[in-house]
Amino acid sequence: MDLGGKQIIVTGGVKGLGRAMVEKLVSRGAVVTVFDIDVAGFDSLKQELPDVQCFACDVTNYEQVSGAVEDYFASRGAPDVLINNAGILYSEPLIRITGTGLQLHDADMWERVLRTNLTSVFYMTTSVVGKMIARRTKGVVVNIGSVAAAGNPGASAYSAAKAGVHALTQAWARELGPMGIRVIAVAPGYMDTDSAHAATSETALRETIKRVPLRRLGKTEEVADAVVAVIENDFFNGKVFELDGGLTI
Amino acid sequence: MGKNLEQLLADVLQIPATEVTDQLAMTDVEVWDSLKHIELIASLEEQLGVQLSFDDIVAMRSVGDIKRVLNNKGVTV
Repeated sequence: MDLGGKQIIVTGGVKGLGRAMVEKLVSRGAVVTVFDIDVAGFDSLKQELPDVQCFACDVTNYEQVSGAVEDYFASRGAPDVLINNAGILYSEPLIRITGTGLQLHDADMWERVLRTNLTSVFYMTTSVVGKMIARRTKGVVVNIGSVAAAGNPGASAYSAAKAGVHALTQAWARELGPMGIRVIAVAPGYMDTDSAHAATSETALRETIKRVPLRRLGKTEEVADAVVAVIENDFFNGKVFELDGGLTI
Repeated sequence: MGKNLEQLLADVLQIPATEVTDQLAMTDVEVWDSLKHIELIASLEEQLGVQLSFDDIVAMRSVGDIKRVLNNKGVTV
């Protein structure tokens, strides 16, 4: 797929990895729309990239997703690409032994992480692809997964959510491939983002870097490049593109 | 078209071509679920060089329905 003039939705495109994807896609001539809950960030995004359209949308809320997708189709027609990027990083072990006893994983945070990282992918994809099928539009769905899908100690909820995203990618690729819709996941390893620094201690990050064969964190631009590559390659489907500097070797 | 419609449907639905009658409906064939229906539509489009709308796809509930839709599109089967 040539990106020039293609209509692309990016969830969580205001900051971090999503922002890098938006910038890269715009530079390649795509027409990008951002779905994001961070309305306060729309102004800075529009200042930098005035042609990007922004939709206020909490992707964990099915009614909001349905409404925003309805509005999108009414104003722009069917998208060529949906990038499910919105999510949150969260680390918490299943059990923690403290000076006062045993502390269990917070159940509310489990729900929130699953809802934000996994359920939102289902909400967005079912809403967008349903309308694409009804219009017989072909296209691509890119899910942002994670190498944590293999099971990251200390990140039960995040690992489970991303494993779910990878599984959905494979299931949907088989279901939707005959209709001309490819489904792909890009799974970053440890990236040099504000959210990674916020969710992980600097000590833990230093230890992680020692385990990466390339001895550094990934750059957001490199994830954006990977996303572009899988969109452009029309035979790439149902697979997880791991971008981890060799960490999982 | 490389093969006739009955043979195409038989291959996708994994049943003998002799069982493919106009009366044969989705409800008669266990494997003819929504996923198989998508595969069937993709095969019809590829083999017959026809573009089916969503309404066409929804209307194709039996072999007779499929023939009627195709005939309406000028495809002789």
